Amino acid sequence: MRNAVITGLGFITSIGNDKSTVAASLRKLQHGLAPYAPFCANPCIPVKLTGAIRDFDTLSPDAEDWIFPSRYTIRREHLRCLAPHGLYACCALEQALADAALSPGQVSHPSTGMFTASAGSASMMHHNLTRMHASGVMRCTPMGVINSVAGTLNFNLVAIHKILGATCGFSSACASSAHALGYALEEIRHARQDRMIVVGGEDGNLEAILPFAGMRALSTTDDPALASCPFDKARSGFVGTGGATAMILEEETLARARQAHIYARFTGWGQASDGHNPAISHPDGIGLATSMKRCLADAAQTPATVDYINAHATSTPIGDRSELIAINTVFTGEKKPSVSSTKGLTGHALSMASILEAAICCIALDEQFIPGNAHLRNPDPAAAPLPLPRTTQESHLRTALTNSSGFGGANVSLLFERAP
Amino acid sequence: MFYKKCLACPGEIWFLGQSVQKHILMEDLPPQGNEQASEQALRESLKRCSPETIESAIQFRKNKNPELANPIIIGILARFIDPEQRVKLQGECDHLRLMDDLGVDSLTMVEVIMLVEEVLHISAENDDLRDLRTIGDVKSYVNAVARGIPPPTRPLRLDVAEIADVMPHQAPFLFLQEAELRPTEARATYAISGQEYFFQGHFKDRPIFPASLQMEALGQLGVLYLLKGKHPGITAPVDASKIYFTSCGNVRNTRFCRPGDVLTLTLHPRRIKHPVAVFDGHITTHNQEKAARAEEITLTFDYLPGPGEPPAHTTPQPQCETPS
Repeated sequence: MRNAVITGLGFITSIGNDKSTVAASLRKLQHGLAPYAPFCANPCIPVKLTGAIRDFDTLSPDAEDWIFPSRYTIRREHLRCLAPHGLYACCALEQALADAALSPGQVSHPSTGMFTASAGSASMMHHNLTRMHASGVMRCTPMGVINSVAGTLNFNLVAIHKILGATCGFSSACASSAHALGYALEEIRHARQDRMIVVGGEDGNLEAILPFAGMRALSTTDDPALASCPFDKARSGFVGTGGATAMILEEETLARARQAHIYARFTGWGQASDGHNPAISHPDGIGLATSMKRCLADAAQTPATVDYINAHATSTPIGDRSELIAINTVFTGEKKPSVSSTKGLTGHALSMASILEAAICCIALDEQFIPGNAHLRNPDPAAAPLPLPRTTQESHLRTALTNSSGFGGANVSLLFERAP
Repeated sequence: MFYKKCLACPGEIWFLGQSVQKHILMEDLPPQGNEQASEQALRESLKRCSPETIESAIQFRKNKNPELANPIIIGILARFIDPEQRVKLQGECDHLRLMDDLGVDSLTMVEVIMLVEEVLHISAENDDLRDLRTIGDVKSYVNAVARGIPPPTRPLRLDVAEIADVMPHQAPFLFLQEAELRPTEARATYAISGQEYFFQGHFKDRPIFPASLQMEALGQLGVLYLLKGKHPGITAPVDASKIYFTSCGNVRNTRFCRPGDVLTLTLHPRRIKHPVAVFDGHITTHNQEKAARAEEITLTFDYLPGPGEPPAHTTPQPQCETPS
């Protein structure tokens, strides 16, 4: 079976719009949460914060009104088909392709595929349907489907980069981009593709985040330093965010032959489901425990060899607790992995959360540090005896596991190892 | 009694509340805004068009002057195409093809037409949009709809294989590659490849497309028109083996045509009455340069015998089959 390595990363996130800013934010535990104007403008909205995406303005439903950094050029014929997260994804992908130093010919090649993760764009869908009801069906933009439905990210990125290999969009809520990465690994392992581009994106705007308020899943705290505090006793819900993260997976011998920089080796993944509730995780984290075990078996590793777990923990009372129980079910030996959730810094990026955290693991393995738990003051007793570092620590990090849990009780775990 | 607007029906269709089964209703529409609000909405819709386009549109809303429709169409088209293409829209541009010359894909075409519909308060039919290939097509279509007259009938389009299928002429003596037939006009193209056999001798080391063959090509387009065109003077299917060139007048050749040139042949039927068809024709090259013209291109023709009818023998014998 062939090995896959990570050779390119790109970020448009609340903690930075490029790799070095993201790395610096992780080291300094600099969070990206801020009051969000569309929430604050309405006193009836109890939620105030999001993980803010800086240097972009995508509030208008008309893509030609959007403002984005001038270093990115996007043709009108592409822009008009995009949702906000499509724009973020174009920018993140441009970074990742430049980082991996892949030529357009290597990208547009039958042995290069692309998997994306996105829940579609609620804001574009809302705008399109409102226009349809107000102006008539024949007055809707002809791009109204491709700029909004759940496949929007895939349709657009595949066309823009002229991808010729395997392409598919994944939609399994907050496990979407972990599924995309897992199946991308299989494409390379089984020699169906040599390179896989994986991109996750979320709008992170009012329509994407606020529906979670109805589930009482969002933090209503307005202090950015307190709102997102995974594993803390005082946690009260997540802070939503959006953006995009792109990763380039490459067959190892191919990457080494062209002397590409290798962030990490992607050595295994596993998945299992809770079979419990459409929206609430199993109280004992049974599906997540199974998915971690399968991931370790897939990578031929044992619990003792895992140095760090980037947890899914979103700062919700039930979810964080069941993840701690799941980790303690699997990691019963003497040596415990350090556990942290970087959602204290970034907010919860939903469909793109898994790939953002996978990319954070790659940076951590590459630069040899373990990200700390931001805003953690009084840990949930269920965490004991796991080490939950409060600050980012320099560390000889060899293996990092990252968890994701989505609605429907879908759990996915991914394992990355430092490449020799 | 109340009125509703149907979401599926184009334009301003209002109807009584009773007979609504076939229609999709929207909730009560907001009251019609005053003139100022409507001008504001128009400016918003056209915000990425030139100031001249916006002013023309506002004027059009006020006085419905049909002269303003074309500048509005061009202004809206300019807003949707790549900035580097816009220079092409200055001056005479009716011949420009939306897809090939301007890079307008079918979805962009819908965007253009939707904005034109909104500004001019017209409603286009989906089926019609597929046939709009050139800027001239868009203009004549929109102008017809805006004036409430039937849009021009769709031309019949034939590709090189379809042409060869119906024509008595065949390679290497067929000089039509793509054709469009309308009741009032036949148009075809021929790209001179340089591989044509007659360049071996016309002329030595100096390939020039023969003037006589330009007349032949126009004559062939007349044959195609008689076989596939629609004209009140053509009352039955024409027999492909009984069409002959008899004469033409006032021939003028004004430009050398060489390998690499793409000839556009245009023919207008002047009168057609069995057994004679008379056309005027001209040939242009790219950039609309005039290459040749001829008047009174005259063909004789006969109809296919009807069922149980003896073959007709009314065709006068021509002096020669081609003028070359």
